[in-house]
Amino acid sequence: MTFARDSYRSVVVGAGIVGLFTAYHLAREGGGPVLVIDRGFLSSGSSGRNGGGVRQQWETRATVRLAREAVAAYRRFGREFGFNIWFRQTGYLFLAENAAELARLRSVHALVTSEGLSSQVLDADGVARFVEGIAPGASVGGTYLASDGTLYPFPAIWGVHEAAKSLGVEVDLGVEALGVEVRNGRVAGVLTSNGAVTAATVVNAAGGWSGEFSRRAGLEVPNVATRHEILATEATKPFLDPMVVRASDGLYFSQSMRGEVIGGVAVPHRPGTARGQGSSPTFLGAMARALVGLLPRLGALEVLRAWSGFYDDTPDGFPVIGEDPRLPGFVHANGFGGHGFMLAPATSRRVALSVLGQPTDLDPAQFSPVRFLGPAAPATAERLQLG
Amino acid sequence: MEGPDRRFSFRGRTHSARDGETLLSALARDRLPLVHRSIQYHRPQGPFCGIGHCTGCLVRVNDRPNVRACRYEPAPGDIITTENAWPSPNWDAYATIGFLTPGGVDSLHGLRRPAFATRLFQRMVRRLAGTGAPPTDAAARAIAAPAVERSTEVVVVGAGASGRPVISALVARGVSPIVLDRALRAPPLDGGELFPATTAVFLPPPSETGARPFTVLAFREPAQGVRIRARSVVVATGSYDASLLFGGNDRPGVVSADAALSLAAPPRRPPFRRAVVVGGGPRAARVLETLGPAVEAVVAPGEIRPEVVRVANEHGVLLYPRSLLIRAAGRRYVRSVHLEARGGGVRTTIGCDAVILAHRRIPHAQLFFQAGAAMEWRPGVAAYGPRVLASGATSVPGLFATGSAAAILPSEAARHAETVADAVVRGAPSNDPARAPAEVPTELLGYYRELLRTPGHGRWTACPCVDVLVKEVENAVRAGYRGIEVIKRYSSLGTGICQGRYCLPDALLLLSLLEGRPPNEVGYITQRPPVVPTPLAALAALPAEPAAEAAP
Repeated sequence: MTFARDSYRSVVVGAGIVGLFTAYHLAREGGGPVLVIDRGFLSSGSSGRNGGGVRQQWETRATVRLAREAVAAYRRFGREFGFNIWFRQTGYLFLAENAAELARLRSVHALVTSEGLSSQVLDADGVARFVEGIAPGASVGGTYLASDGTLYPFPAIWGVHEAAKSLGVEVDLGVEALGVEVRNGRVAGVLTSNGAVTAATVVNAAGGWSGEFSRRAGLEVPNVATRHEILATEATKPFLDPMVVRASDGLYFSQSMRGEVIGGVAVPHRPGTARGQGSSPTFLGAMARALVGLLPRLGALEVLRAWSGFYDDTPDGFPVIGEDPRLPGFVHANGFGGHGFMLAPATSRRVALSVLGQPTDLDPAQFSPVRFLGPAAPATAERLQLG
Repeated sequence: MEGPDRRFSFRGRTHSARDGETLLSALARDRLPLVHRSIQYHRPQGPFCGIGHCTGCLVRVNDRPNVRACRYEPAPGDIITTENAWPSPNWDAYATIGFLTPGGVDSLHGLRRPAFATRLFQRMVRRLAGTGAPPTDAAARAIAAPAVERSTEVVVVGAGASGRPVISALVARGVSPIVLDRALRAPPLDGGELFPATTAVFLPPPSETGARPFTVLAFREPAQGVRIRARSVVVATGSYDASLLFGGNDRPGVVSADAALSLAAPPRRPPFRRAVVVGGGPRAARVLETLGPAVEAVVAPGEIRPEVVRVANEHGVLLYPRSLLIRAAGRRYVRSVHLEARGGGVRTTIGCDAVILAHRRIPHAQLFFQAGAAMEWRPGVAAYGPRVLASGATSVPGLFATGSAAAILPSEAARHAETVADAVVRGAPSNDPARAPAEVPTELLGYYRELLRTPGHGRWTACPCVDVLVKEVENAVRAGYRGIEVIKRYSSLGTGICQGRYCLPDALLLLSLLEGRPPNEVGYITQRPPVVPTPLAALAALPAEPAAEAAP
């Protein structure tokens, strides 16, 4: 297999939701010709491995705003992209196990409300109304935002993939990005497992592998790939509407359109991609204990399958977006920390604009690729990571 | 143990089960029952696999959903109902979904407009999706049991024809293995410690350190968690009768040979009178030897072997070699099969009340895959199995294979058991040659090439658990998607309760034809844990383990 051309305006590394949306916006903004390459098959990375949650409850204003834009984009998705992603806005319910957690959720509620979203603070009875069968005493309350929701990730990938291709974007799968070619201090091309191509810009949208690719380009970045596991149960009739999240142990689960309970919980993993995207008995046990402890009747439900994917974590929990001043032509669209699907519709147009050298409204202190280089740690951080 | 009949309620009527009888056997005294409808189109679906994997016999037992009737022995006083059909699986009003959408429902592109109806569509689809109602707290309490945690030298998975000789050989060498066997009533062993009714569901790659690098997760029916750490694991899980693509391939009456043989095991009477057996090899011969008087005809994709012809002649069974099986027809139950001689020949219709699939057996290889063992393509059955050395060693140190999962013939089993036991006790020999089983490639690909010219094949069911049609797979390929992994995600094929055990082997052949490349190049199927659906109660009861994966 060879590429259709020798030279592209931009090469996007990673055909996940971030890379595909970026390529789509690049093609729309006149940034073509665009080539997207991915080492795996379509949906083989985290975009095909997440729980499908899309929420607007965050601890920082910048993330709330991006997420609100993303929700609006997913509401339009079926009309614009021709695929039904089953975006179901039945809310996100954050549970608190004690007063300190409830206080933290109240401050999230205050921020979210100040952005014009109608979040609610619930007491224990309010939580029980949303989570039928919750164990007594399992929660002291929580927050709920009805316009949050879940979607089915796969059709979203097919939709953006096909839309990008119809705008002339070339997508080549099974091709690994090995490094960048640098001439006169800026990007001149990309070295791939399929040979070299000339390109003025390379966009690093490689998700869990983005830290590795940046380092291959000689750029020191703090991105760390962290494996997170997830499972799905057999399908039953609907009994749970919202996505339920417990920040204390990172438990999250929802019931999909097909009726499966899908979710995960935090268990320790060694950093890096070396262990692959498999599962562990540790996770199966921890997840079962967390689920059955919260909703005892789930004990009689069966696990169908478990899998895992990588969060591309940054020290402050914000993604890295924009051109790297150390290497002109190298543009970051990574570090989403497991929230690429939640934010990509909002961030990708901004990535495309920075590829085209146009200014964006993103605060460099929160999103710049070089914010970690100074002696001081970034001032703000987004810590509402799981779920 | 002989006991009185166990009386239980099924759909409001009292039935009884004899001791040792499964719910399915109790319901299948005269004919195969119809207890289930397919998930999306509500086609009548019958018990198919007979070994606890498919959706054909799912029922609700004491408010626990999706219980496999073939893996459940009724207890006195059980209240058992059917799921997802109204008013009954025999007459199901939801079947109108199938009549109203003869071309299938396109859930990828459909129901997007008008935007204001989104919530209504979603509510409707959610209500229709899923099988049973969710379980109750009482159902979860009733199955909860304290977990078992053990540490041992050797675990043997499977106490069947190939597992037993290995167990004996290990005992003779002074090793007493822990034996996990899935059969609800496994006969006692001469040595070793038997966990009956226990399914090994997860065998992750061994940890790099420690005297007992393997962790075997298992559960004992109904929901007891079992976790065993071991130095070595011998997997003797055998193989199973595969499905086949044709019209009506999950209609009540179409069963695997596994199911037919277990439901008709003497002294039981077979729940059919005039069966059509599909296949012309040793497995078909075995079915004829056991069920001969109840068999009407043998239909084979290829030639029919002399041993089959001999038994068939004894019972006056008609033979149809080199025939395409096009359709199993009948309003609810199978009443006839439609055949066409290969090469565009004569069409025949045979009246029957069952179709028994005995054309190919493929290895239960999920545990090998999970453990990270190197896998190889088995041309004789068009499926993957572990790569095995002469000693039974796989590419994973300490993990051994024997029996048909490792392509060991029954005639070699006894000798191989001794070799494996030696390798387990003393370590695999350094001059361990690779096993190259001489296999004749199956003709199945050529068979499918002809079969898929049949008009209307797009409406056949490619994945009965999720109701995926053949044309959805064809559409995915037409849209430019390639390889089993992405086709699986595009079409949802293989994501149901059997986890692709029955649809993916045929999907590999289908994709091979659609993509124009050999079946072993359309990709491998990730075998995710657990191997078999596992109750959360069983996993939740296991004590938390020190995190093996902990960050340093």
